[in-house]
Amino acid sequence: MDNQTISPRQMSAAAVNRRMGRGRLEPILFNTFNAIFMTLLVIVTLYPFLNTIVVSFNAGNDTIRGGLYLWPREFTLQNYKAVFVSGTIYNAFLISVARTVLSTLLNIFLTSMLAYTLSRREYVFRKPITFIFVLTMYFNAGLIPGYFLMKDLNLINSFWVYVLPSMISAFNLIVIRTYIGTIPESLVESARIDGAGDFKIFWRIIFPLCKPVLATIALFVAVGAWNSWFDAFLFTSSRQELSTMQYELMKLLSSSMNANSNPAVAAGAGMTQDAAASMVTPLSIRAAVTVVASVPILLVYPFMQKYFVVGLNVGSVKE
Amino acid sequence: MGGKSKSVLRLSMIMLLSLGVILSGCGGNNASKAGKSNTGEQEADGPFEITAFIGEAGQQPTPDNKIYKKIKDELGVTFKFEFLAGDINQKLGVMIAGSDYPDIMTANTKLTAAGAFIPLEDLIEEHAPNLKKHYEKYWNMMKDPNDGHIYTLPNYGAYNGEVASTWYSGPAFWIQKAVLKEFGYPKVKTLDEYFDLIAKYKEKYPTIDGSPTIGFEILNYDWKNWGLFNAPQHLIGHPNDGGVVVKDGKAEIFANKDYAKKYYQKLNDMNQLGLIDKETFTQNFDQYMAKISSGTVLGMFDQHWNFQSAENALITQEKLERTYVGLPLVYDPSIRDHYRDRAALNLNNGFGISVNAKDPVRILKMWDRLIQEDWQKILTWGIEGEDYIVNEKGRFLRTEEQRKKTTDATWELANKAKTLYASSPKLEGYFSDGNATDAAAQPEEYQAGLKPYDKEFLAAYGFESYVDFFSDPPENPIYYPAWSVDLVEGSEAKIVNTKLNDLSTKYLPQAILAKPGEFDKVWNEYTGEIGKLNVKAYEERINEVLQWRIDTWTVK
Amino acid sequence: MDETLTKRSAVRNVKKGKKQPLTWSVIKSQRQLIYMSVPLLAYIILFAYVPVWGWTMAFQNYKPARDFAQQEWVGFKHFKFLFSDDSFWRVLRNTLGMSMINLVLGFVTAIILALLLNEIKKVFLKRTVQTISYLPHFLSWIIVTGIVATSLASDGIVNDILMKLHIIKEPILWLSEGKYFWGVVGASHVWKEVGWNTIIYLAAIASIDPALYEAAEIDGASRYRKMMHVTIPGIKATIVILLIMSVGHILEAGFEVQYLLGNGLVVDWSETIDIFVLKYGIAQGNYSLATAGGIFKTVVSVTMLLIANWTAKRLGEERLL
Repeated sequence: MDNQTISPRQMSAAAVNRRMGRGRLEPILFNTFNAIFMTLLVIVTLYPFLNTIVVSFNAGNDTIRGGLYLWPREFTLQNYKAVFVSGTIYNAFLISVARTVLSTLLNIFLTSMLAYTLSRREYVFRKPITFIFVLTMYFNAGLIPGYFLMKDLNLINSFWVYVLPSMISAFNLIVIRTYIGTIPESLVESARIDGAGDFKIFWRIIFPLCKPVLATIALFVAVGAWNSWFDAFLFTSSRQELSTMQYELMKLLSSSMNANSNPAVAAGAGMTQDAAASMVTPLSIRAAVTVVASVPILLVYPFMQKYFVVGLNVGSVKE
Repeated sequence: MGGKSKSVLRLSMIMLLSLGVILSGCGGNNASKAGKSNTGEQEADGPFEITAFIGEAGQQPTPDNKIYKKIKDELGVTFKFEFLAGDINQKLGVMIAGSDYPDIMTANTKLTAAGAFIPLEDLIEEHAPNLKKHYEKYWNMMKDPNDGHIYTLPNYGAYNGEVASTWYSGPAFWIQKAVLKEFGYPKVKTLDEYFDLIAKYKEKYPTIDGSPTIGFEILNYDWKNWGLFNAPQHLIGHPNDGGVVVKDGKAEIFANKDYAKKYYQKLNDMNQLGLIDKETFTQNFDQYMAKISSGTVLGMFDQHWNFQSAENALITQEKLERTYVGLPLVYDPSIRDHYRDRAALNLNNGFGISVNAKDPVRILKMWDRLIQEDWQKILTWGIEGEDYIVNEKGRFLRTEEQRKKTTDATWELANKAKTLYASSPKLEGYFSDGNATDAAAQPEEYQAGLKPYDKEFLAAYGFESYVDFFSDPPENPIYYPAWSVDLVEGSEAKIVNTKLNDLSTKYLPQAILAKPGEFDKVWNEYTGEIGKLNVKAYEERINEVLQWRIDTWTVK
Repeated sequence: MDETLTKRSAVRNVKKGKKQPLTWSVIKSQRQLIYMSVPLLAYIILFAYVPVWGWTMAFQNYKPARDFAQQEWVGFKHFKFLFSDDSFWRVLRNTLGMSMINLVLGFVTAIILALLLNEIKKVFLKRTVQTISYLPHFLSWIIVTGIVATSLASDGIVNDILMKLHIIKEPILWLSEGKYFWGVVGASHVWKEVGWNTIIYLAAIASIDPALYEAAEIDGASRYRKMMHVTIPGIKATIVILLIMSVGHILEAGFEVQYLLGNGLVVDWSETIDIFVLKYGIAQGNYSLATAGGIFKTVVSVTMLLIANWTAKRLGEERLL
């Protein structure tokens, strides 16, 4: 079979078959080692999450005793009930989804476009622009000046404060630029000879070829946007309808910690010790909050994954 | 082709740039809308929204919350709460920098210092006779030490008559009830007696429910450091004054004093005997709570509210004998214990009205109405018939079901005005009809909650409640308590206080775990390091405020 | 006609990889690149650089309630406070120590894991392992440190296993000794982040031309040789660039994990610059000190970054700048 007539996917599968076909000792040893290693890895990294799920389904009052591992001792849905009881979380969920989707799309487009220009060696402003962006990773102007900027831009108590300040990250920019650097220059050259301008080259040639790295960056941005709460805390906390899911969950968690560390409240609780048994505790709320907060974003990953577990064959792309 | 992609490019650039403008425009609209409603004068009884910043975490009440609905129906007032989750210093920093204040805010010295609150004394005199009456006795205490104005309304500590308490939530040396029962309900007065009991019990029962018995726990995790720091002041018969002991109006730190050394020396001895948990200084709070709720810990120094939920876990496991009694220990039986104190006015707490408030008078009038008994009953006990019942003698009682409901956080969000009540001025003590202002303090309620085990236990001592283990608190000195002194942000005094805590966190565990011969060496190093600090700056700041209190608070 | 000319010269220059002089004709020929980048440059200047006026706070006794004109200027007072405090040099040492450990462990483990994952040929298994390995990234430090503390307790699983294997006789109190602390922090970081850090390398591996493997295959290269001669060179650019960027973050050892795992017995080994600045800055309402700390970190970061970039240049590796 001629290599040039098969798709990359088939080609690598063929390569795999051939490699598997070799019955030598070394691969067997290696595969055994790798299998054991991966099993251990899976156990060690799955445990904390499983344990968190278990805690989230266990009665708070019983969780305090510790010693919970892989199965709840006293099953309850109370912790989740506490998370969902306040109606505010549903709207916050929508806000979080909106900001995450919007941030991800804007980041992917703008960052990769900029990365393309900075990968062009002939570009006269390449070095200064790269330097100016790279530097942003290493300083932070501080809370209060940042707040004033948002205030001057009228972004306080506005949805756009979630999106606009973080449309490009220097880290992602450099990662994409490095990736573009591995794409053969000949592709760009031939396109240019065909009369394509830079934007067209970027959009038609470079952007599609960057899928693996863009999937990665999309994941970074989406997870970052989903998990962030600090902007809601600083900039939109007086408008409940703009609150994000992470911030709502965080408020819930801190309020349950508060209830357990407030002398005035605890004093009152002393009376009704029996009923206190049904109370949720910070430990169990934290577990439920973690599960609720992370499951939606975890579901994103498998969709991204196909772009970089099976990569694209750069060399095979022909204009 | 080229032309097309160029126009796409240009288009996207324009879109991008205009996006910023349009979007910030949206934000602007919102801001100006808010601005408009700011200027509108409200009618006396018309609908009136109060925006409130709560300096701690909390949850929004449900939209149909019955108490807030009642307030809306009868007073025309609605609330919009903003709760804090995250670091208060960061949040206040930007709020102050931008002067972005809602109508009312919970007290904070940073806000007061920044001039975020309006002075209230004249407004109260003029518009709020009930509030004036409520705070009459405390008027001078409420004044700001720096300029003499009243900026915030303390939420706790303004009492209505004598306060009888059935529940003690403060600091003590705690001991498992089983230990006292085992040795025939002895009266334990001193630290030595306490550790003797623990040692004897641990020897007799090296394991509890199969796990090794732990003699004594000392929690020092994060900001929960009193388990390690605070005992010495109590052992010499002083109340909780934070980091200082106040004698005759003069404060001095006690961390490096001989009576402190005596305590840590004792702990060092006890550690030699194996009475102190090996992991006590490395555990986190969750691990500490897990140990207590397993029932294997015989004793610890702590504040009751701090380990409350672990005790609750013991109760649900029906291990009542493993729950705790607080003991007010002293070095010497001749010293009168002073753990329990009379609640002092809760300064630097409660609401203040911000400089941005639309109609301060209307807000004050709302509190002036809510402080009256009928509303106070609604805010504490709830709605008669629904949340509590009144018996033929006029006593307020709750059924078992009603009692249970109040601990359900979900129920609370729909049926209590918890956030508002917690920070607002409130009656404490007794209503004019003799019922307690707090359901938990109603004696009938307390008795109804007691288990047979506890009844028997208390009977053995001849006590009504566990509070009786403590001496009656004497009258507070006028300047009490020193822990509420504001050390002033960024001042030398505050930095010294931070450093002092750092040194104690570092050296005290070392001293306790030291080999017997090395205790003195560690201790001397510790006091030597304290000597290098400008402790005077710290003590002087406290003394300055105590003196100010003596001068201003004394009723002339 | 003009257009075709510039286009040609542009192509020629690209071929030579030569830097062009800044002339109007060059700017004109590169106007698309300029359209695509300069607005974004303006954007980053607005959002990242404009607020840097706030650094003036480090030279003031900044009070948020006052206007800029009313602030009190104090020169280098806050920097002096930082550098003259006994504990500052200790926290600097701890920060450097822990972040070096994190840097080295983080890179080595993530690259090894990426290489090993790449050797799993069953796509389903590969995806499953990968997905699971990055789960801990989504747990907060407070949950992770809770599990770490429980595992390291005297009756925890770590002591259990070590005692069953007869490596130790008595349980070790891992969190009571300064000498273990950095290691515990490093291991916790690896546990939490290794799967997540792998993602970026897997993306880089995915971009390697399968033809290169084919060619190696035909040459009869072993799995090890393919890894060394195809995979690693294929992701080297990514590794070097990430390394340079991380070297610039040498003072970012974090504070949460140290704060949550630390205690009085190990405080000399656990406190980082961030904890120090939190304690004496923000917690005291001293925004000026916090800013001074930030400026110090930036100066060190940028210096380290430039050194790393220069070193990479000397070694003929991919560069950041």
